[in-house]
Amino acid sequence: MLSLEAIYVYYGVIPAVRELSIHVESGRIVTLVGANGAGKTTTLKAVMGVLLPSQGSILYEKEDVTKLPADKRVAKGIALIPEGRQIFGRLSVKDNLILGAYHRKDKDDIRKDMDWIYCLFPLLKEREAQIAGTLSGGEQQMLAVGRGLMSHPRLLLLDEPSLGLAPNIVTEIYDVIKEINESGMTMLLVEQNITMALKVSDYAYVMETGEIRTEGEPDEIMKEERILEAYLGE
Amino acid sequence: MLSWEYILQQLFNGVVVGAMYALLALGMTVIYGILRLIHFAHGALITVGAFCSYLCFMKLGVPFIATIFIVIAFGAFTGIILDVVAYKKVVGGPEVTLLITSLGFYIFIENFMKLVVSPQPYPFHPPEFLTKIYSNGITFRAIDIFTIVVSIAIMVAFQMFIKKTKMGKAMIATAENAEAARMVGINTNRIISIAFIVASAIAAITGFMWGAKYGQISYDMGFIAGVNAFVAIVIGGVGSIPGAMVGGFVLGMLSMFSVAFLPPGFAAFRDGIVFFILIIILIVKPSGIFGQKAAI
Repeated sequence: MLSLEAIYVYYGVIPAVRELSIHVESGRIVTLVGANGAGKTTTLKAVMGVLLPSQGSILYEKEDVTKLPADKRVAKGIALIPEGRQIFGRLSVKDNLILGAYHRKDKDDIRKDMDWIYCLFPLLKEREAQIAGTLSGGEQQMLAVGRGLMSHPRLLLLDEPSLGLAPNIVTEIYDVIKEINESGMTMLLVEQNITMALKVSDYAYVMETGEIRTEGEPDEIMKEERILEAYLGE
Repeated sequence: MLSWEYILQQLFNGVVVGAMYALLALGMTVIYGILRLIHFAHGALITVGAFCSYLCFMKLGVPFIATIFIVIAFGAFTGIILDVVAYKKVVGGPEVTLLITSLGFYIFIENFMKLVVSPQPYPFHPPEFLTKIYSNGITFRAIDIFTIVVSIAIMVAFQMFIKKTKMGKAMIATAENAEAARMVGINTNRIISIAFIVASAIAAITGFMWGAKYGQISYDMGFIAGVNAFVAIVIGGVGSIPGAMVGGFVLGMLSMFSVAFLPPGFAAFRDGIVFFILIIILIVKPSGIFGQKAAI
């Protein structure tokens, strides 16, 4: 469904990602793990189109989207739930969800998706009219997931959905992630909470300083002691 | 001398002038909110609007209502030109670049106007029905009422647009976090263009009211108007829409009262007095009346 072919992404003159190639097959959860500054967020932003790679190409559903701007990629079914939530704090919960469906015209289906999201996160329904900036961290993360889903994506990019959240909320978010994956949505996940991430994913890439260090099935990765030492501190 | 009628009269004058400042400040603050750009060239739009109405109404004899629509359209058009030519290329660069660009464009437009219309001021005669004088305790002309009514209508319409429409909400989202806005599929470039179009159209129509109120227009009328709009924004809280509107009215009152209640000799120092008060406000409350909280 998604292939990155040897992409390079620069911040000014500094390469954040070098010769990176990853593949995500339809219906799977693929995880990028790695330390801070390894280039995981940069990779997701390149897939979303917020950053453009200076070399290499990005193929999505067999189409070259390398140069396509972010808003066009949303219409093609890619959504990013960004690191640190980045919900629109001055707008209400409901308005955040409405903007999630910005490119869509199908009013009835938008209504249906909104009901579905309120079903996934009943708390959001209760807080519908509240200004999003006043929500707690966990609620904001739920809203960020909901806003991402409102674009009706086929490929969902998740950047550190567990960051800074209480363990019970992390479990709740991950239950939802599994649930929507089982309904057929493909996911590319970035996570520092490596045990949580590897538990749900089908395949994983380990990144280090902008490059892929190793890749494999989650249990193979777990077995690699060197990685555990480096990333889990065990 | 300080009768109630006198005070009421000054209050009324302050509201009329303040309404025009508020309209300019509104557009300026929206552009600031989205681009982090102090849009000094915004003041030039009232010059453009004033001369456009002069040309249409007084020289070509276009009917009043049609003139208004032409002024709005021409203002919007100038806004697009500014956006595409001046800002699209420099947005995302250092703030200093943006600031110099906007200042440069103000000076360019002002000089261009000087070249086209010559440096001397022109008398501006609004349509008959706007020059009617009413005197009933306080004295005012129909143009004053026109200015207040149109300004408030524009402000209400703009608030409705921002709060109720999907595009207005997208504008708030873009102002808050442009990257996240792009992630949800908002074409932020289009939002920026719309902000320029709306702000410039509003400024152009303000140019008509300005000319009609003062009876005179000149190539450099946009400068002090632009500076005053900027001061209104600072008073209200930079980036805040309600702040810009309230700031406009507060500034209008300040400039009227500073003339009305000081000894006659002080009238010439009005701008100095206004800026002195501005400095006091900034010392007491640097974030302005509406501060950061109510931003756009």
